Amino acid sequence: MNQIIKITFALTISCVIAASAMGLAYTVTAKAKKHNHHMNVQNAMIGLLGFGKDNPAPSDLKFLNVYRYIVEDGDKKFLGYMVPVEKGSEEAYEMVLIDLEGNFVEKLEVPISAEKAEEDRDRATALEKVLAPPKIFTYADASVIATAGGKRLGYVLPGKFPGFRTFIHALVAMDPKFELLGLEIMEHEEDAGLGKEIEQEYFRNQFKGKTYEKLKTLEVIKKPLPMEYKKYLEKSKWEEGMFTEEQIAEIRKQYKDADIYAITASTISSKAVTGGVKNVAKKFAYRIGKLDSVLKKEKIHAAF
Amino acid sequence: MKSIRSYHLLVGVLLIAALFLTGCETGHKFVKKTGFKDTDKIVITFAGPVDEAWASNVANFSAYEKPDPDIVLTVKEIVLSSDKTKLTLIFEAPLNTGEAHILNIKNIMSEGQDMGAAMLTVKKLYFGVLMTILIGAALINNFVFTKYLGLCVFFGCSQKRSTAIGMGIVFTVVIAFAATMAWALYQFVLKPYQLTFLNIVVFIGLVSLSVQGVDTILRKVNPILFKAFGVYLVLVIANCIAIAVPLMLADNEYTGWESFSLALGAGIGFLIALFMMACVREKLELAKVPPSFKGLPIAFVVAGLFALAFLGFSGLSIY
Amino acid sequence: MAIKEKTNTQLFVDGILSENPIFRLALSMCPAVGISTSVMNGILLGTAVLFVQVCSSCTISLVRNYIHPKIRIPTYTLTIATWVTVIDLVLAAYMPVAYKAMGLFVRLIVAFAIITMRLEMFASREPLQKSFFDGLGMGLGFMFAMMVLGFVRELLGSGMILGYDVLGFKPLLFFVLPCAGFFVVGIMMGFFNWIEVVYKRKKEV
Repeated sequence: MNQIIKITFALTISCVIAASAMGLAYTVTAKAKKHNHHMNVQNAMIGLLGFGKDNPAPSDLKFLNVYRYIVEDGDKKFLGYMVPVEKGSEEAYEMVLIDLEGNFVEKLEVPISAEKAEEDRDRATALEKVLAPPKIFTYADASVIATAGGKRLGYVLPGKFPGFRTFIHALVAMDPKFELLGLEIMEHEEDAGLGKEIEQEYFRNQFKGKTYEKLKTLEVIKKPLPMEYKKYLEKSKWEEGMFTEEQIAEIRKQYKDADIYAITASTISSKAVTGGVKNVAKKFAYRIGKLDSVLKKEKIHAAF
Repeated sequence: MKSIRSYHLLVGVLLIAALFLTGCETGHKFVKKTGFKDTDKIVITFAGPVDEAWASNVANFSAYEKPDPDIVLTVKEIVLSSDKTKLTLIFEAPLNTGEAHILNIKNIMSEGQDMGAAMLTVKKLYFGVLMTILIGAALINNFVFTKYLGLCVFFGCSQKRSTAIGMGIVFTVVIAFAATMAWALYQFVLKPYQLTFLNIVVFIGLVSLSVQGVDTILRKVNPILFKAFGVYLVLVIANCIAIAVPLMLADNEYTGWESFSLALGAGIGFLIALFMMACVREKLELAKVPPSFKGLPIAFVVAGLFALAFLGFSGLSIY
Repeated sequence: MAIKEKTNTQLFVDGILSENPIFRLALSMCPAVGISTSVMNGILLGTAVLFVQVCSSCTISLVRNYIHPKIRIPTYTLTIATWVTVIDLVLAAYMPVAYKAMGLFVRLIVAFAIITMRLEMFASREPLQKSFFDGLGMGLGFMFAMMVLGFVRELLGSGMILGYDVLGFKPLLFFVLPCAGFFVVGIMMGFFNWIEVVYKRKKEV
């Protein structure tokens, strides 16, 4: 009996010590993790918009989040967009409810600061105050609108779609005319040497510059990537004098309306990414159009 | 022994029955069944014949993906079967069949009678989803040959066929039990209280506890079975698949049933891998292998060949 | 008793060469097959294992006199799991890209037989200093083996070392494919055995 008590005591003590050690490590790293993740996404977005070392981003470049919710009120369903609005000098948020056909229903002020709005939990508690039951809201997604000097530079949309192994997380950037600015693969678990190649420039950059009209019918073709095109796509490996201005213009013109060349032996991954990008872009283009017309009609001064 | 077997059978039948029931509900009395066909079709089966004029009007049908109620999918064409009970809606664009679709049908007309409007959920059979996960974990993403986990135990226990089968069965039982527990613990305790950083400790503790639990129960309930399989129980803890499965189902937010089928698939996959390897290694004993390759090195090369063969399963979709 | 006679340096060298966890003891094979596709992966996972091994060895060695023999194994598991959680959190926070590349394997260090074995066989009996060197040797031995595998696979598979293009072409894409890990490990093991056989034969002559 005595022994059992002793053992239990010893185990409890060691568990408590271990748990506190882990808790300490967690509290120390949690902040850094969030910060690094945020920076990572931020840098990716800046890169996607075409800014870099030799083309620095404007100082007033801002990324504004628009959060989309699905609001249910009994049988009826609405889309709720939580948009940043200009209110004097401060930034505030308003929830704009739109019915499924795209008609304005109502707008509600959301009492939340810009900093807290980035947290799912804080947003939910703030929204609970304005959208009381029987209204139920569920978070759908967040889109980023990049602005500088009071003008829209483009949109950055997060996409999550099933790949060959598990889900692929990506960022898709479009300019205000919905022409693709670029694609960045954030997370995936595809196989090394095969599906992992979706990370590579020669695949990702194929999406760059595709117009919205082309995007709608974008397909994957199973043909080897032409050598010249591949060299052109791998921008980070460019050397001085590799391409003349004319050559670049010519290649760009030649492949502007080309479909996506599949990665060798990874057609499924290539198709998954292409389909995913297409889907994300098409849905967003449809929605932002509806949202913009509502904002204009109702004279809501959104910050973008 | 016999009583245990019949009891297992009963539980199994009940499980399958429950799964089938959850998979087929439609929510409208006149609609018998809905389902996807190919990539761009939805098939609706009615309890009786419907009017042709009503059925051919595209405006009577509207569908959207459940998370995107504002984006209506356009129906290109409707085909009515000859006995007028089966409608096939052909959509303009391929459907995302992984997602549930909501289908709104305006007043169903059957032999001049109005059967009321219907809002139907069209989704893949839940049973099919579970089977996909199970077969996926067992073959397509076999933990040993495509995820390279559990290799220590895999090479340690694949010398003889009898050992391989024993280890495989014990592992399957323990992992199915442990993973379901891990799912419950993760969903109801760790996640709500934001303790997910304790995942590793909790899961390894849970696996050890399950092993101990199965050990105790088996010893009491069926000593003969324990004599045959008891030795393998300890080895389960050394198998990293036992930790990998709970971590995966926590990462991917699986539901209870899905977790169970993932664990079962992982166990069955391990059993298959062990058995096949054991068959080859028994034959290898008789083969002339270069002396420096005897034992483990040649076993690795054989495993590599298996892994290559398992690549053939990739991209396979069943349901 | 042979262990006691060994000096710190010997312990250290043994871990890397004659008791190499992967090539000689054939333990912790999963990462050796799974993610040895590049030298960098080997270095990163090696560092994580080194950290966990050294910290766990030291912890157990420090409290070895207070551990009740009946709850020996649970205590080891708890210690390892704690250190694995720590390194997992740190890597996820500060090196997210590398962490993603290693997938589940960082968290699976908890199930590595090699660490538990060293705790049971060595750290629970020996003083802090010796345990430290033993842990260091074992950890570095693991890292060394992972790097060798990564070197072979990266060089032959993608013609690169540490991400730098060395050969300028890809000799055999096969080597970087996931399933080639089995072949590389098998062939390497056979190679090491062969060296041993040749070495012994020479000695006899």
